[in-house]
Amino acid sequence: MKTKRLFVVVAFLLIAITLFTAGCGSKQTSVPGNQNQGKDKLKVGFVFIGPVTDGGWNTSHNNGRLYLEKQLPYVETIFVQNVPAGSDSERVMRQLIQQGAKVIVATSFNYGDTVKKLAKEFPDIYFLHATGLEVAPNVSTYDIREYEGTYLTGMVAGKMTKTNIIGYVAANPIPCVVRAIDGFAMGVKAVNPNAKVKLLWTSTWYDPAKEKEAALSLADEKADVLAQYQDSPAVQQAAQERGIYSIGYHADMRHFAPQANLTSFTWNWGPIYVQEVKAYHDGNWKGKAIWASAKEGASTIAPLNDKLVPADVKKLIEETKDKLSKGELTVFKGPIKDNKGKTIVGEGQKISDAELVKCNWLLDNIEGKL
Amino acid sequence: MEMVTLLTATLHAAIISATPILYAALGEIFAERSGVLNLGVEGIMLVGAATGFYTAVNSQSLLLGILATVAVSLLFGLIFSFITITLRASQVVTGLVLTIFGTGLSAFLGKSMIGQASPVIFHKIPVPVLSKIPILGHVLFNHDMLVYVLYLLVPLSWFVIYRTREGLNLRAVGENPAAADALGINVFAVRYFYVCLGSMFAGLAGAYLSLAYAPSWLENMSAGRGWIAIVLVIFATWNPVRAALGALIFGGVDVLGFKFQARGIGISPYFMRMLPYLITIIVLIIITARSQMAKNLMPKALTIPYDREER
Amino acid sequence: MYILDKLNEGKCIRFEKRLSVPPVTYLIVPVVSVILVLLLGGLFLALLGYNPVEIYGILLNGAFGNTYNFTETIVHAIPLMLTGLGVSLAFKMGLWNIGAEGQLYFGAFMATGVALFFHDLPTPLMLTLVLTAGFLGGALWGFVPAALKVFIGVNETLTTLLLNYVAILWVDYFIFGPWKDPKGFLPYSKVFPQSAMLPVYPGTRIHAGLILAILAAIILWIIIWKTTWGYEIRLIGENTQVARTAGINIAKNMLLVMIISGGLAGLAGMGEVCGIIGRLQHNISPGYGYTAIIIAWLSRLNPLVILLVAIIFGGLNNGGYALQMVGLPESIVTMLQGAILLFVLGGDILTQYRIKIHRRGCGV
Repeated sequence: MKTKRLFVVVAFLLIAITLFTAGCGSKQTSVPGNQNQGKDKLKVGFVFIGPVTDGGWNTSHNNGRLYLEKQLPYVETIFVQNVPAGSDSERVMRQLIQQGAKVIVATSFNYGDTVKKLAKEFPDIYFLHATGLEVAPNVSTYDIREYEGTYLTGMVAGKMTKTNIIGYVAANPIPCVVRAIDGFAMGVKAVNPNAKVKLLWTSTWYDPAKEKEAALSLADEKADVLAQYQDSPAVQQAAQERGIYSIGYHADMRHFAPQANLTSFTWNWGPIYVQEVKAYHDGNWKGKAIWASAKEGASTIAPLNDKLVPADVKKLIEETKDKLSKGELTVFKGPIKDNKGKTIVGEGQKISDAELVKCNWLLDNIEGKL
Repeated sequence: MEMVTLLTATLHAAIISATPILYAALGEIFAERSGVLNLGVEGIMLVGAATGFYTAVNSQSLLLGILATVAVSLLFGLIFSFITITLRASQVVTGLVLTIFGTGLSAFLGKSMIGQASPVIFHKIPVPVLSKIPILGHVLFNHDMLVYVLYLLVPLSWFVIYRTREGLNLRAVGENPAAADALGINVFAVRYFYVCLGSMFAGLAGAYLSLAYAPSWLENMSAGRGWIAIVLVIFATWNPVRAALGALIFGGVDVLGFKFQARGIGISPYFMRMLPYLITIIVLIIITARSQMAKNLMPKALTIPYDREER
Repeated sequence: MYILDKLNEGKCIRFEKRLSVPPVTYLIVPVVSVILVLLLGGLFLALLGYNPVEIYGILLNGAFGNTYNFTETIVHAIPLMLTGLGVSLAFKMGLWNIGAEGQLYFGAFMATGVALFFHDLPTPLMLTLVLTAGFLGGALWGFVPAALKVFIGVNETLTTLLLNYVAILWVDYFIFGPWKDPKGFLPYSKVFPQSAMLPVYPGTRIHAGLILAILAAIILWIIIWKTTWGYEIRLIGENTQVARTAGINIAKNMLLVMIISGGLAGLAGMGEVCGIIGRLQHNISPGYGYTAIIIAWLSRLNPLVILLVAIIFGGLNNGGYALQMVGLPESIVTMLQGAILLFVLGGDILTQYRIKIHRRGCGV
């Protein structure tokens, strides 16, 4: 028995050693297109919490990455996907820095602790933290005023509903999701004060079948327009199946449900990335809170479905879009009450950005709980 | 009336959400009945979903999509069988590894299909006369082809397991392989056959997700349904008919959760999602406590590789 | 059943149990499996247009290539070691505890409770409490299925699997509900006070969990091989019937073993929240508890070997990220890992059996 165990140990040790030496030996060999070619290029490292092919949040950021590479020829990006926050995120970001990345883009709110820690240690590295809360000399938080875009989609929904019930399928109640829904509800209220928004939480970021179930439940509740804050197109497909309308999120979801989809809210991260990486390259960067809006074309909607949306609605949306992009319209303008009767902001007042960041109330035309 | 519409809607939705888990669970029942615990269901489901969608998109044919799913999931069944039955490696460990492999493979296969809509999907086909029956018609007979196939598979599986010679052999192998062997049953062949059959069903469960339920390919789109199917098998005490009822309950929990939410009845969604697991534990306790029952219900040789020389 | 007959006919490969296993087999089999899979994987990579040698090089470099990468591999290995040790003890007694994932989560949950609610305790007291809470949390999650098994006879493989989901959803409920960080309303707990953080080796992220893991491995090894209790555990694992006739208290042993097994996994969870993350959040484990089963099994339940194999797995994980950084799709990495494991699993039988191939049907 003794010798047997000994041999097992020796066997594994040997494997480990061979692997180890092989690993060291391989360091001389070069990786094509990475270490040599990119010598004088500015390296930007992207870290994603899920697969870049999720068709939702991560894909939208990945599109921004591709846009960055296209716009700034002196930039080379490295990206790592499916990185859980905590143990792995710190290691991955460090390794990206080791590989020469000068700008690190952390595309999930979950990476806050990691960014905070590493930013102190690497003052020369510029960190961009999506939907982050804390700014530092070398950390910029960035976000998009999604509520401007969802305000527009909300107006479309308010105009198109006949039952005056609009369904909304959302993932988890965190501030940026709640804010998007409130913006949507403001849009509905602006064009149709009688309409209600019925809100269902799936409590999962990612489960197409479950998202569809929630959508069908809303359809059963007589909702005739369905909107979503989920990655997959399941809600759109549910709407098409039931012959009702739908509004997408994250990306243009038209091709999944051409007979149902009215429009989609879309992110446009690319310009933010170009602006900040360029600033770093030119040496005039500093940590700040970036909140891009319709003005910069960051918070937008996909083209309206001409087959479904009447011309007058289209005109209204175009006008509102124009006002938003000129900065003539404020979405969250008082009086605003939440659905528990509490006054959020009085007549004629606006909600400050600081309060919007931790948005945790639902507008009074929303049926649902946090 | 309001109540009735709500009920029909809930049941109709519960059937749809029960379908993928029931397909996988039926397959797993066969495998476990033969004494093999296949924890690779989740991986096989994903591979099935990816191949089905890939083939359907490229060939514009649902039939080819389903055939491809069947072929690939059978291959996975063979790999699993070879390692656990012939090579007698641990079923638990091999199942876990197969899930890792399947997740990777499906993500790799699916890369090119992200964001695509399939030109062909399983549409709802109301059954001509039956779907006109009030209430029940809509609940039962307004679904797609794969659901109807399942209606046939459930009683058929029950019949095969409890009323045929093959079923008797299957149960004998799962209960006491040595005795079965002595009776001239080829334990290895029986296990190979039913594990592969089970794997095929798991693949079909995946194809249902990617071609009927949420027609698209998304990485990891089964979102843990393979594991729920394994739980369902236990809940159903290895009986296809009970599995069908259980699938309705498991599927219904989600649907009901949404109905509650829509009416402002506040039960934490996390506790709602815990329910199926807690109920299953209770079921397990009950069936085991009535040991007489347990003896007839649970395949006793489950997870134990069969070795002829250790008879 | 024509198909069955066909299968029956074709059964020509037989395995004969080796009467005495030449020690050298234990060396050859894993080495051959790994070489085989590297070759096959290499072929696959080459077909996709990658240079396999380079890919393997990057993988290994990412795992063990320099001091930093090596320490990070250890960091990833710590929870794998603790959970691996935990399940191995249960396996040794023939208990298929596949609930290390849930035990880990519950350990983390309890440790978090202590860290959040006794936040002004002095460090030594705090650390003792956090450690105890972590262990107890996991132990509780191991005790429940053990008690069900002992008193009612419920199959532990199934209950431990079920309890995994309950624990994860339980944690989700707290981080989205009562324990949500009031600053920003995001789904994670408040940051722990510094006093609740495990000491780390300066300059690295290797935390005291490593010491716990090594200690646990040594203690387990001594218990299993050098004590009467260990003998009892092994005997129950090999033949419950014999153990019962020998007068061994099986119920007591099962409860104790599952408490320790769960407790070790609970310590792993505590190590993640108190050693690395510093708060409780969703997804604290990328499936450590499941990988642990594979590790324990590959190590033949030898506590000291588990430490080594856990490091190899930590390396596979980190090497995977290194591959992503050079542009290799993540899915290929996962697939390669799965394939390597399948081969090692399949090859394992050759340590106990040798293959005999018969030309014609092998008879009954």
